Amino acid sequence: MLVFIVLQEIASMPGHCFAQVEPLKKVNMFSRSDTDKVLFEIVPVFNGKPLQLSKQYYVNEHGDTLYIDVFRFYITNISFTCNRNAINKNSHLFDVADSSTYDFLLKKIPPGHYDGLQFTIGVDSIDNTSGANEGDLDPVKGMYWAWNSGYIMAKLEGHSKVCKTLHQAFEFHIGGYMPPNNTARPVLLKLPASFAILEHDIPCITLKVDIAAWFSGNLDISKINYIVTPGKEANEMADKYVKMISVDTVEYLRCRSQ
Amino acid sequence: MPFPIKIALPAFLFALILTGSSAFDLQQDELKFVVPQGWPKPVYNFTKNRITADGFKLGRKLFFDPILSRDGSTSCASCHTQWSGFTHVDHSLSHGINGRKGKRNSLTLFNLAWNTSFMWDGGVNNLEVQPLSPITNPMEMDNTLANVVKKLDTSKAYRTRFFLAFGDSAVTGQRVLKAIAQFTVMFESFNSKYDKYVRHEPGGEMSEQELNGLKLFRQNCESCHNEPLFTNNSFQNTGLAVDTELNDMGRMAITHDFHDSLRFKVPSLRNVVNSYPYMHDGRFHTLMQVLDHYTDGIVESPSLAKEFRKPMILTIEDKQDIIAFLQILTDKEFLFDMRFRDYRD
Repeated sequence: MLVFIVLQEIASMPGHCFAQVEPLKKVNMFSRSDTDKVLFEIVPVFNGKPLQLSKQYYVNEHGDTLYIDVFRFYITNISFTCNRNAINKNSHLFDVADSSTYDFLLKKIPPGHYDGLQFTIGVDSIDNTSGANEGDLDPVKGMYWAWNSGYIMAKLEGHSKVCKTLHQAFEFHIGGYMPPNNTARPVLLKLPASFAILEHDIPCITLKVDIAAWFSGNLDISKINYIVTPGKEANEMADKYVKMISVDTVEYLRCRSQ
Repeated sequence: MPFPIKIALPAFLFALILTGSSAFDLQQDELKFVVPQGWPKPVYNFTKNRITADGFKLGRKLFFDPILSRDGSTSCASCHTQWSGFTHVDHSLSHGINGRKGKRNSLTLFNLAWNTSFMWDGGVNNLEVQPLSPITNPMEMDNTLANVVKKLDTSKAYRTRFFLAFGDSAVTGQRVLKAIAQFTVMFESFNSKYDKYVRHEPGGEMSEQELNGLKLFRQNCESCHNEPLFTNNSFQNTGLAVDTELNDMGRMAITHDFHDSLRFKVPSLRNVVNSYPYMHDGRFHTLMQVLDHYTDGIVESPSLAKEFRKPMILTIEDKQDIIAFLQILTDKEFLFDMRFRDYRD
């Protein structure tokens, strides 16, 4: 059973649009004309367990108990693949503290069968250097560095007794768009063989995001607990969390016939 | 028949009050961005932020409004005054709210469309996102863009201006930044006596001393402060002793590359007489001190610019001539351009 929430307006990028990220007002408003849409739902977990901010403890690979306080990341340039590959200019900022960001709708996808879902975790270099952007890329979202220009691709903050830091905090603000430390990561996920965008049905793809991936490779947060600038460490962290997203389920929502 | 002065003067003043700032109200045709002849192509992408009179005026209002700072005390103009080439004259380090002091000397603001990066360390990559630095720096305005947007959104006057500039009254971070960029990108300086000399225009007649200064300048300074912008946008270590209290490593903080240690942006020398003090930490108050440093004060270090690896030899007369030349880089048309004044409109 899916729970839908009224989404706040997410402006799309005019000028490049093939697919657009659209504000989702009410799921029941889908009509026959909505056949080119795909709904995404993001489910944040830690080691498969539902994520609860600050209250629930989790244990990482290294065996340390920790709490998650902040978790946000960008999904951009989402496209569906099937032999051909169309990169769509769109961006969505997921914020675990903002339930309105758990769902988003992708529009204008040509109907047909697709075998793969492709996107970037992070923001590409063009958007990193093109000045003040809009919508989810607006620097007002707090995912943009002021003194060293560029987006924070993903942000994870929490606390653990093993961190000998102020408030026992660990802080990972992962960004950087310039080689060799470009932290934008392409992701290609396989879709079920039957996946199709057809008339009357809107596919709802549930993406499971497992934060445990950030701590893979036996990351010792008593030693590495503060990454807030582009560089080698940020790059390595991006290599870890690139594996956090998987396709969990695909359901089809039957559109109301009018 | 002329009005008696007794009536004409009050009538004129009354008309001035009625029209308020509109005596200097801008028309679109007064906001033409000029690429002077022989200058390179601007770096800034104007197609994504077309300059309109309403956008420019909104940017101007934001530039002069302390609403940008956390406690409403500090505006952009606090550290960037027009007559000094939009820097903070006589202040070696920039000031912020509650009298806090930053660690660098505020830069001049003009010909920004040609800048390939911003700030002394080049950490900012686009004119539009440059204001984020002073807005969020705890030593300057100590605010967030989200707070600025929230505050502006409660102001009916501002919402009206956003409507005029962008077609609807929504206040967004992007629009705040684009509006400020529309204002600051128009700070163009290309009408100094030197420019008139280059263009063979009246008013460009140079004295013998100034001409000799130009010759010496081209021999000794041109490799970094090259014409017509008087900067090559690069980062250089000019042999300044490290201030052990500030410990500012410059560009290395951005690139993490030790070759960039102690390198700072080459600033333009246009309007340089008005924009003292000098260097990234404002340690020199006169141009003579700067030249004395270049001839006698260079501190060797691995990243020292190659130009300073062999001594620069200038007599006192040479230095005086170079300074005489630097004086004619002052562009009064820009420094007193009425479009850039604070009209509280």
